[in-house]
Amino acid sequence: MLRVEHLTKIYETGTVALRDVSFEVQEGEFLVVIGLSGSGKSTLLRCINRLVDPTEGKIFWNGIEITALKGRELRKVRREIGMIFQQFNLVKRSSVLTNVLSGRLGYVNPLWSLINYFPKEDVERAMKAMERVGIADKARNRADELSGGQQQRVGIARALMQEPKMILADEPVASLDPVLAHSILGYLEEINKRDKVTVICSLHYLDLVQRYATRVIGLREGRIVYEGTREDIRALTDEQFKDIYGEEAQRLGSITGEEAA
Amino acid sequence: MSDDINTRAEEPQGVETRPSIEETTAPQKGKSPWLAALLGLIPGAGHIYSGATSRGVALLFFIPTMVGLSFWRRHVAEINPLAGISEELLILLLAIMGVVYIWSIWDAYRTAAGRPMPLRLLLVLGALVTYIIGWDVTEINLQKAVSEIGDVIPRLSQLAWPWDEAFVRGVEVTEARAPVEVPCDETPPLPPEEIPGEPYIMVSPTCGEESGPVSPTGQRQLGTELQVIGRGFRPGEEADVIWRDPIGNEYRPRATGEVVKVVPNENGSFAFTMVIPSLIMPEVAEGVQTHYVIVRQEREVGELRPSRNLLLALEKMAETIFLGLMATTFGIVLAIPVSFVAARNLMSGSTVTMVIYYVVRFILNIVRSIEPLIWALIAVIWVGLGPFAGVIALTLHSIAALGKLYSEAIESIDPGPIEAIQATGANPLQVVVYAVIPQVIPPFVSFTIYRWDINVRMSTIIGAVGGGGIGFLLMQWIKLSDYDAAGIAVWFIAITVSILDYVSAQIREQFV
Repeated sequence: MLRVEHLTKIYETGTVALRDVSFEVQEGEFLVVIGLSGSGKSTLLRCINRLVDPTEGKIFWNGIEITALKGRELRKVRREIGMIFQQFNLVKRSSVLTNVLSGRLGYVNPLWSLINYFPKEDVERAMKAMERVGIADKARNRADELSGGQQQRVGIARALMQEPKMILADEPVASLDPVLAHSILGYLEEINKRDKVTVICSLHYLDLVQRYATRVIGLREGRIVYEGTREDIRALTDEQFKDIYGEEAQRLGSITGEEAA
Repeated sequence: MSDDINTRAEEPQGVETRPSIEETTAPQKGKSPWLAALLGLIPGAGHIYSGATSRGVALLFFIPTMVGLSFWRRHVAEINPLAGISEELLILLLAIMGVVYIWSIWDAYRTAAGRPMPLRLLLVLGALVTYIIGWDVTEINLQKAVSEIGDVIPRLSQLAWPWDEAFVRGVEVTEARAPVEVPCDETPPLPPEEIPGEPYIMVSPTCGEESGPVSPTGQRQLGTELQVIGRGFRPGEEADVIWRDPIGNEYRPRATGEVVKVVPNENGSFAFTMVIPSLIMPEVAEGVQTHYVIVRQEREVGELRPSRNLLLALEKMAETIFLGLMATTFGIVLAIPVSFVAARNLMSGSTVTMVIYYVVRFILNIVRSIEPLIWALIAVIWVGLGPFAGVIALTLHSIAALGKLYSEAIESIDPGPIEAIQATGANPLQVVVYAVIPQVIPPFVSFTIYRWDINVRMSTIIGAVGGGGIGFLLMQWIKLSDYDAAGIAVWFIAITVSILDYVSAQIREQFV
């Protein structure tokens, strides 16, 4: 359903974030992208929904070339792809409900939306999405009154509002403690399994990767250096692991989630 | 910084001269301490040679500047004995600067050797010289401040409590007048006709000679004695006796040093005698002049009501608040579009937009650096005296100040929510409404309220140069030495600014 071909991104500063990256994603996969900070994970995810424009290469989404889209067509594709962020990226001063409803902006009448009016069924949809992630009682609170884990659940509810076919999750648990990390990834896994929503998720902790991924891609300095299934990564040797994380890397615990991508 | 440098610094010279870590620099490779000292004969040159450029430049400016200022103040003293410094003080200053000079040469040597001196001594001596000169230049005179404080206390007390003048009662006047010619001629005036029910006085004779000036022996030639009778006045209430000259000046004649007063009896009648006082008439007033004797009773009647000055001050205070409001509003409306083109993150798209950004920024900085007072002077030339000039002045300054603050608020928004809203497939307008505006509203409101606060305070000053509002009135009253009225204005300004300060703090709290 998603095919990435020879993707390269060079930023204006000269930083090469991605070099000739190609891979495919099948419907229903839970693909985890691993790699050190700065290895290109965030850039890769942002190229898929064109928050970042790639320098070279093509991305196909169900036969449509995303990399060639503009304006309205691009927005139509974007609304089918939900996105979750490390820093949650909520509008802090708006209510939880408004934040969740904003996930619907690609569908509603643009003029009505400018005065913060949403159809009744969208408000009901929002309530259901919030119930699903357990924050329905916070609907009227300001987003910044919520804890980190709750804010990320708002982020998931916002993505659910898009009725996404795919969710891009850019280090969704890097700002959270391990217990919350499992809870958030649990929601993603449930959405992945029950709604058959494809998930592409970048992660730092190897144990989380082993627990949730159906397939893994390893990036190092913008290149794919590893590709494997859940079984493969469980059997990962130290040498292979060093290939991904660099010479100084050690297995498991030493890799922290604090660094921003 | 490597370890060997720190150990080099640990020379057995005691705590005083041991450089702290930040003052320690690497020994300059190939720099000769002796050459540095020699160059140090020109203040700072040795430091620049040794690589301590900022210290060198500072010395290069500081030493000649302070020596120059010292000589200038001595020169001033030779012209104006009330200002400037004495010969002895000049020598003292030069001696201090001499120490600084020698210190700088020694420091140049040490800097080249990688062990610069601590700045403590230099800072103390520099501050000493600076403050001695500063004290003299600003003509600070504590003795004067203490000895002449008496002059200001009555004014201050008037300003502090002006409310006695703020409310007055109406005055009911009962008066009658009769003409007197000085000197006499063939046709002395007739006494006025009596109208029944009205107060009436009659003077006889109706002409006479004025009193002479007081001679050096204290004697004077008294003028004609006048018999004054009156009726129809309010019984028992003291009445003033007033002499009114042909020009219209009124004054109160004195008999044996006391002001002449009279109390009517129970029928409202009285009779007394007085002498024509010594009159000060301009030399052009030749011949016979008609003066008047006036007897006047005044009493306050009715309720206390606001005085004219109070009403005027209220009126102008309202004008001032609206002046601030209009200027702030115009400022906001014009500053918002300006702020978007002055926000780097929105304008970094292309070279053209960056050029616009820099031009707008430059203009904003210029406009902002010119005080509203100066804008007011220009606006007065443009649209004339009055509040409109004040509105223009404050608007210009508000645009620049708010434009800068707004644009910085836009620059500092979190790009995360923008990304997130874009990712939902929202169009650019929706992105602005859902991701940008919610983020900039709090700072915008906060800056705007603060600006209104500033503008109302400013408009009290703007008035002083003709920009309308209460400042105009205040300046006028101070120039007329009407300190009671000025006090009312000062109170109004203080009350308004305090209220506004409180209100704006409340509003800011709600939004931030």
